[in-house]
Formats: sequence, C-alpha cells, structure tokens
Amino acid sequence: MLRESMRTGGKEIDLRGVTQGFEEGTEIPHVAALVEFAEAVVARDAARTARAREALRGKLGEAGLVDAAATVAAFHGFVRIADAIGIPYTTAARGEDAPEVRERAGVNDFYRVRTSTTSTPADRT
Amino acid sequence: MRTDLTESHDRAWAAIAAPGTWLEGARRVAVAAEIRRARECAYCAEIKAALSPYAVKGKHHTTGRLSEAEVELIHRVVNDPGRLTESWSQSVLARGLSEGEYVEIVGLVAMVMMLDTFSHALGAPPRALPEPQPGEPTRYRPSGAKKKAAWLPLVEPQDAVPADGPMYPSPKAGYIYRGLSLVPQSLRDYWALAFHHYLPAELVYRFDQSIRAISRPQTEVLAARVSALHQCAY
Repeated sequence: MLRESMRTGGKEIDLRGVTQGFEEGTEIPHVAALVEFAEAVVARDAARTARAREALRGKLGEAGLVDAAATVAAFHGFVRIADAIGIPYTTAARGEDAPEVRERAGVNDFYRVRTSTTSTPADRT
Repeated sequence: MRTDLTESHDRAWAAIAAPGTWLEGARRVAVAAEIRRARECAYCAEIKAALSPYAVKGKHHTTGRLSEAEVELIHRVVNDPGRLTESWSQSVLARGLSEGEYVEIVGLVAMVMMLDTFSHALGAPPRALPEPQPGEPTRYRPSGAKKKAAWLPLVEPQDAVPADGPMYPSPKAGYIYRGLSLVPQSLRDYWALAFHHYLPAELVYRFDQSIRAISRPQTEVLAARVSALHQCAY
C-alpha cells in the first residue's frame, strides 16, 4: 500500500525503510516525525509519545495529528486480527503474493514467515 | 476532532457492552477489562522479551473474571501478536473455547486496542468501561463458514448467505476483511470503527484520493511501520 501510494504520485520509496528506518530525502513530508510517533505509541512509552505528539502537532496541525493517531491506532487492530486468525500473508498484496516486496521490506525475517509452512491458501485444502 | 470519529467510538463502546454472538454483555466487558490488565502483565513482558515465546513458563496477571483459555488468548493477542502460531491457536481451542468465542474475543481485542491506543496516542485517559447490557447472545454460526485459508473458519464472499447480514464491501474483499467472518456481527462492529480510523472501503485502493488531513503516503508509512513493529507479515 505504501509503495502504491507513492507510485500514484510518480515517486518510489525504498521499502527497506519499513524495517530498517527511512533515509533522509524520502519524499514523504515529515516522515521522521511520523515514524517516531508510530514507534513511541507502539512502545506504549507515555513520555516519548508526548514528545513525539507535540513534534507532530507542530508539523501537521491538530487535524493532522488526530488522523495520524487514528491511523496508528487502526493498525493496532488490523495486525491482531491478521495474526490471531492466521489469515494467509501470501495474499497481502491485493489477494496476491509479492515475495519480492516481502524480501525487500524485511518481512521474510518475521517470526510468522520464518516458522510458517504455509505458502498459499490453495495449499491448505 | 472529526465528529465521525468520535461518533464511531460511541457506537463501538455501545457494541462492546451489548450481548454478542457467543458472549453476553457482561463477559464482553470483562474481556475489555482483561485487555487493559494484559498490558501490565509481567509474564507477558517476559514472553515478549524471550527468543522462544512458547518456552517461557509462568502465569498471567489477570482480573480473575475469565477462564484460563480466554486469558491466554487475550494476553498473547494483546502483547505478542506477531509470534502466534496455528498450534497455539489450536491449544487455546482445546482448553474449552469454541471457535466462535475465539473469533468474537479477537474482534473485541482489535476494537479495544484501537480505541485505547487512540486515546494513548493523543495523551487522553482511556474511556471508562461501559455498563454491560442485558440480553442473550444470538449464537449464530454462518452456514458457509469453512476452515481452509486460515487457522479459524472463514466465510468466503461466495459462501455468504443473506442470513449472515452484510459483511463485505465487494466480492473481492481481502482476507483482512474475512478474518472475523465466522462471527458476522463482530466483523461489522470492527469495520464500523476501522473505516473511520483508516479509510472507508471504497477509498482503500483509490491512492489518488485522501479524505484525511494527512496524505495517503503519510497514512501508509504509519501503517507500514506499526505493522512492522508488530512483526505482522500480512
């Protein structure tokens, strides 16, 4: 989704940033502040979250901060459904597998992939 | 604050307090309380820090209001969702939880985590838990549910019947939409909230449009980073 959203604007992004951090010059405004906010919230670190929130508010304004918080919160729900129900990660790219994206983004190093014997839903019939 | 967002929160808490498909209102609110307790569980912190999450022995710090299987399900899904396995999910079911109860509880975890994380992110206190509403669960199991693509049964779009009620925005709805489909009401409650947090279904693949105060790439970089931090491969 990140890659597609960038391509729509005629831009590319190095997906390694998802797991390894984004380099300066990534063409997403305020990417460092956004990522710091996301990381602070996931870590449930109140003091770090407060600092990241104020930094983000200064860059995005109140409405932008609220929508950033709403997005971060949304993915605290999505990931739990995906991982507790065990839906096939091989369908994450609009129903298709995208092994090159998984490899590039570092997803193949995740526990679920490393320990999985699943390849496609059809294999499970 | 967007009014659609605050109204979606009001509806979500009301739904959490109401009788569900397999759980009564009081048990659903007890699940919400356990979700909050799980975030302070020392045993879960040990599991999270361990290289081998299933080798750690101990006891969850619990409210004491739910069964052992329910507590194990809630705590692991709250604290270490990226390292759940199919054999673990089967072990939870073997301890006496039905598939419907499992899925309904996962739906509640997803909703409460979304609601509480939003409050935390904005520096607001979590909302007080609602009063449970009386009534009986519907105990409705979709006739088309099959265990095939995931660890738990799903209703594929082509297997949905009118009695299930509305579930999918399109026949091509991805597996993330189908995840809670064994319990259609949980699916509807979850997505009624999630669409206001993320994007409405009709805009998810419209990358040229944004109805939020942040751009679509900004939205997706947040989504990708949060998912990666949870080790979510989907």
